[in-house]
Amino acid sequence: MTAQGATSQGDSALTGPARNQSTARALMTIGLLAPALLFLAAWFLWPLVQLLMLSFSAPEGTFSAYVALMESSVFRAVFLNTLQLALFVTVICTLLAYPAAWLLTRVRGFWFSLALYCVLVPFWISVLVRTFSWMLLLERNGPVNNFLIRIGATDQPLRLLFNDFGVSLGMVHVLLPYAILPVYAAMLKVDSRLLQASDGLGASGRTTFMRVFLPLTLPGVWAGAAFVFLLALGFFITPALLGGPRNLTAAMLIDSFVNERLVWPMAAAASFILLFIVLVVLLVVSRFVALGQMVLAK
Amino acid sequence: MIRVLASHGVAFRQVSKRFGSVQALRPLDLDVLPGEFLTLLGPSGSGKTTLLNIAAGFLDPDGGRFLIGDRDVTALPPRSRNIGMVFQNYALFPHMDVFENVAYGLRVRGVSASDLRQRVEAALAMVRLDELGGRGIHQLSGGQQQRVALARAMVIEPDLLLMDEPLGALDRQLRKHVQLEIRRLHVEEPRTTIYVTHDQEEALVMSDRVAIMRDGRIEQIATPAALYENPANAYVATFLGESNLLPVQVLGTEGEQTAFSLEGYDGIHHLPRAGTDVPPGPALLLARPETIRVAELDAPGIGAMVEETVYLGELTATRIRLARGQQIWMRAMNAPPRAVGSEIRIKWDPVKARLLASEPTE
Amino acid sequence: MTGQTQSRAVVAQVAGAVVLAFLVMPIFAVVPASLNDASFIKIPPETYSTRWYTQFFDDATWVSALLNSIKVALLATGFSVVLGTSAALGIERLPGTLRSLAVGLVLAPLIVPVIMISISLYYVTRSFGLYGTTIGLALSHSLLCLPFVVLNVGVSLKRLDLNLVRAAEGLGAGPWRVFRTITLPAIFPGLAGGGAFAFVTSFDEVVISIFIAGYGAKTLPVKLWEQIRVEFTPVAAVGSTVILGLTVIVFILARWSAAASNRPASGRDT
Repeated sequence: MTAQGATSQGDSALTGPARNQSTARALMTIGLLAPALLFLAAWFLWPLVQLLMLSFSAPEGTFSAYVALMESSVFRAVFLNTLQLALFVTVICTLLAYPAAWLLTRVRGFWFSLALYCVLVPFWISVLVRTFSWMLLLERNGPVNNFLIRIGATDQPLRLLFNDFGVSLGMVHVLLPYAILPVYAAMLKVDSRLLQASDGLGASGRTTFMRVFLPLTLPGVWAGAAFVFLLALGFFITPALLGGPRNLTAAMLIDSFVNERLVWPMAAAASFILLFIVLVVLLVVSRFVALGQMVLAK
Repeated sequence: MIRVLASHGVAFRQVSKRFGSVQALRPLDLDVLPGEFLTLLGPSGSGKTTLLNIAAGFLDPDGGRFLIGDRDVTALPPRSRNIGMVFQNYALFPHMDVFENVAYGLRVRGVSASDLRQRVEAALAMVRLDELGGRGIHQLSGGQQQRVALARAMVIEPDLLLMDEPLGALDRQLRKHVQLEIRRLHVEEPRTTIYVTHDQEEALVMSDRVAIMRDGRIEQIATPAALYENPANAYVATFLGESNLLPVQVLGTEGEQTAFSLEGYDGIHHLPRAGTDVPPGPALLLARPETIRVAELDAPGIGAMVEETVYLGELTATRIRLARGQQIWMRAMNAPPRAVGSEIRIKWDPVKARLLASEPTE
Repeated sequence: MTGQTQSRAVVAQVAGAVVLAFLVMPIFAVVPASLNDASFIKIPPETYSTRWYTQFFDDATWVSALLNSIKVALLATGFSVVLGTSAALGIERLPGTLRSLAVGLVLAPLIVPVIMISISLYYVTRSFGLYGTTIGLALSHSLLCLPFVVLNVGVSLKRLDLNLVRAAEGLGAGPWRVFRTITLPAIFPGLAGGGAFAFVTSFDEVVISIFIAGYGAKTLPVKLWEQIRVEFTPVAAVGSTVILGLTVIVFILARWSAAASNRPASGRDT
């Protein structure tokens, strides 16, 4: 090839070698992603596909497992209970998360680290340990009852465990950090000049809060609430340990289908119904909230 | 890694690049002579950085080839091209000290330990940072960091040096200082260099040749002097230095001269033909402020009124409004200041003035 | 601020503090419970003793559970860190929509109810003989660990100045050298943080483990779960405290190393 500018040489010949660099880059990208994606395909997707097929493999007919579940009053009651519990826990968590997150934005230095650790350390600690500690605290002869008796709030030890109260308390405790962090993140993003502007325009503290601060932090609130709700729907350990016979959750039901009654198609079908609800909620929420910020709150 | 003889020129042949719907580079040809310092000058979006990245190998051109010496390197990744790059944000490796930064390219090439030490120290001495080898890069000022970046790029003796607006992050004083440093280094060891900037003063100070780019094309490529004195079009004229552009009507050529009239004024003027002729019809007269003079009492000239005088130390700049309303600037050394509102008559230096093709203004 | 607003603010802050205290206090109930001299749970204990700790470390079943947990957690961490870092590097190079899809797939195990993942893995591992093995459990834990590594490394990767990679490439470095000398040092904080969280996630993991650990790979949380359902003993409290202690130690190490590697920004970030 001459060093002169070649205007008439076919463009395809000229771009041939240049293409190799971008193909090389693409291959590298695929190579980097392949291990993780293959692993997920084999160890996550494939077992779920197997489970899906199981859900259609009841001897009575392809959809009989689903039908049986829909028709079963027990199953409906359990699912309803799961939803109600999740909703209740979400509301409580959200209400409690707001002042806690606000406190986090207002403290500095040592107090800030302390406050942050109060949220992060429980976040890291096993759900089993946290649930067990509530069992120890709430039992008939436990410190909570002893304290209540001592201060005269009651004569007899209260039944704080193996009922709605115990389960709700335990779940709120476990899920609170998931509610606090997104709200905190949203609060950090609020430009304090907006609050100053509102103040400067003569608005009262309450008005500034209601009409400026609260609306701006609402996306974080929704994100936290959605996160808590989704996690609560699938809860197993905490309701199993802290709940009574009336506090059966969907996850516990699925466990009993597998480990006690050995009805795999029912277990599989129930799982997919649960998953369906989770995905619907996720879809609805994702239209209003940036999910990215949810997951980054760790 | 290819190893061409030092001081080979480089060439772009019909290189084009498109990003989505934007044509960043129209097919263009460009030759950089061996050891030449060529600056790509233009506003953002002109394609200069795209061209630089194609030369480096960080971008594949859609069409065309790039050659270093005689070798077509278009398909080669950056690491095989033996180039030295200097970035605007220095891109010094933060977890290594100055010495290790400069030594990086040599280590990659497997240079022996004693050779390496010698070459790194020589490079640091060349940019006058002799004793700073052990410093962490955070301890250096901006200008020092950029000089380390220069040393790092040059110590590997690259066949091509590429600089992407390296002085953009420095303040004015420092920028001028480093400009001269780079110029000095180039004079000591001429190396084929492509330099990208949007600062025309910088381009004029440092370059052997300057290529003015606009919208993915090279408008003109010439030495700084040639660009200044013989701009190819109004864009180049206004990009470099101060200019006055007046609309004219070209009437035709008469022997060695071109005749034209000034829009809205009587009279026919002449200029010697220089380079390409401007066809008859609307055109522009380029008369830089320093070529405008006050006409003597009886000599021909254009009537004008002084609107403002600005004192610039050794120069005085005077803003004048011509009879038909156009505003131009006049610059003169040691000129007596004119009273605002006074009426004068001006003329332009026929040797320096130029006729340019009319085109839509930028 | 007016007086009324100020007092409202104080009330809100106190409420916040109460919530935070509520979050932390109960957890440490297991610590005093484990130090009780008596053979039943009582908080606060009347007499303190460490005899249950001795009991714990003398009991082969508890110790092997602890060792299993550590083994599985180390395997899961190693596996997720390697795969996760590679994935994060790949994801960084993807264009918009593909990138969201890839991230979505990596995060999916966190969205799908863990009971569902557990039974699907239970079903599959039984067929392939990986039920009750340390490897099988470690791989399963990795599903939950991977997202945290990918996210953490991804965040560190975003902060990496692209020009540093280009400078290294221009100077002749090949992809592996660029990774080793430039990328890795830059993402190390994210990698370490993700790795720490991965370790803790695996160590604490209970639901998947209940289903597929079997006897061969029974981890400490599983043994604890089995024990608690039968009766509360101080030994169970010791087991809980061990889990708690290890988690807190890893957490503190992670925060310290994150603080230590927070050097000033590289060069001048333009």
